[in-house]
Amino acid sequence: MDPYYLALTTITLASIYGLLAIGISIIWSSLGMINMAQGFTFAVSGYGAWLVAQNVSHSGVAVLAGGVLMGALAGAAIGAIAFIPLYDKPNFPLRSLIATLAISTLGGQCLLWLFGPRVKALPKIFGYGGFHIGTAVASREKVGSIICSAALLLVTLAWMKRSRRGLEIRAMMQNPEGAALVGVGLRSTAMAVMVVTGAMAGLAAVLLSQNYFVSPYSGTTPLIKGMVVALAGGLGSVSGALIAAVLVGLIEAVTAVSLGGQYVLITQFLFIIAVLLVRPRGIAGMIEHSRE
Amino acid sequence: MTDLLRIEDLSAGYGPLAVLHSVSMSVRRGERIGIVGLNGHGKSTLLRAIAGLTGWQSGSISLDGVEIGGKRSNGPGRYTHRIVRMGLALMPQGDALFHGLTVADHLDSGAFSPRAWRERKRRRERVLAVFPPLAKLLSQPVGKLSGGERRMVSLGRGLMDDSRLLLIDEPSLGLAPKISRALIDALMRIDLEDGAMVIAEQNLSLLQGKVTRLVGLHAGKLKGGAMTQDSALTPHTQHRHP
Repeated sequence: MDPYYLALTTITLASIYGLLAIGISIIWSSLGMINMAQGFTFAVSGYGAWLVAQNVSHSGVAVLAGGVLMGALAGAAIGAIAFIPLYDKPNFPLRSLIATLAISTLGGQCLLWLFGPRVKALPKIFGYGGFHIGTAVASREKVGSIICSAALLLVTLAWMKRSRRGLEIRAMMQNPEGAALVGVGLRSTAMAVMVVTGAMAGLAAVLLSQNYFVSPYSGTTPLIKGMVVALAGGLGSVSGALIAAVLVGLIEAVTAVSLGGQYVLITQFLFIIAVLLVRPRGIAGMIEHSRE
Repeated sequence: MTDLLRIEDLSAGYGPLAVLHSVSMSVRRGERIGIVGLNGHGKSTLLRAIAGLTGWQSGSISLDGVEIGGKRSNGPGRYTHRIVRMGLALMPQGDALFHGLTVADHLDSGAFSPRAWRERKRRRERVLAVFPPLAKLLSQPVGKLSGGERRMVSLGRGLMDDSRLLLIDEPSLGLAPKISRALIDALMRIDLEDGAMVIAEQNLSLLQGKVTRLVGLHAGKLKGGAMTQDSALTPHTQHRHP
């Protein structure tokens, strides 16, 4: 096992899973909703990027923008359907879980109907070739993925730290009633959360589709992995999700190299079971206070 | 000049439970009003109803002449942010703080209007002048503070914007008598300008002689002195809460 190769693969996977997991985590803690439709957002963003590549331009920026925009749109749509009409009704967590699951299934069928069952391939937006790092070759695609997701994550975290809207989201994550008492509109803030996390899922979709094909249900596996990372990190904790993303990425890389790709989900689930047995609230669940 | 707050025939509660029974009261500008009564008799529900946080309510609540209550049934908290933006600050029981955020973040969160947000550094200084102990704690997460410090954060957060009506629920709850008295004194020093302050408090002796009017709340009904045309503290309330 080449340590450079392992490290590189780990960071690439961690950055992509991190984008999905942080989205799931922020939605859970600020909206109180488990977004089962995050996988649909992922798939539809892949198609958005593909449409741009087919009809507009093959350039990397255009394809990325297509995916991110489509993700943001899908996020807004899910918020408008599953959060706005339901959030002040009794049993909201269960209702929204079912609503987002329905959106995910229905959306997948719509994609199947619109685009057919044949998988689509996105253009290689970062080009071919690579650089030598130690004994491993870092392909442009891996380096590009890491840079893009790190950039979006840093911009989002800085925005959450510095802007009024970001403070409102952080307040809502901790105490929705307290947030309403400082003039935070729960509905508009929730929509902002859905748009931002949708954009993150969209970026993750384009980056992951450099290796995998776009298909109507291509979001299912990323959704499961995003959930695993979010749960292992402790729902509601951004730093926990980042730590868990690195660990899950490392496990995937080690498993794929030593046992074979088909065992990846098994080792990942063993990992989350082990984490939740030792720390029921996840890795950072005790460090940061969040919605329980 | 109209009353800053005028409540008419307000009933409110949660689910099948009615806590307030056709309550009417009014608050003039510049007044500091104490609402006294035993636990469970509706003090918190009255303040929460004004902020739109009860399960249901009927009757009329007007803030500066604008109806904020209405007869509609509202899910708790659905309209709260709009009422808050109209100039109401509720410092609730239990403080409703954000445990992972720092004291500075809390104070900033209270500055919701664009103007207050731009001036938030200056306004923070103003709040720190009222609650000096917070100055050293600005970068601390609120979950690590003591009960008295948390109360100051909750009160300070409500003072960051230009709220005209300050509603303060049980400022002394869970605090040592000395700290309670210091808090009440700090509240009395706040410059109301053309606003008003309503303090709900179980401990009558903390407010006696310090507020403009005292109103008793018993079993969901107000006792005397609730409307502005009545004079200050009626003997009736005094006897009820020795």
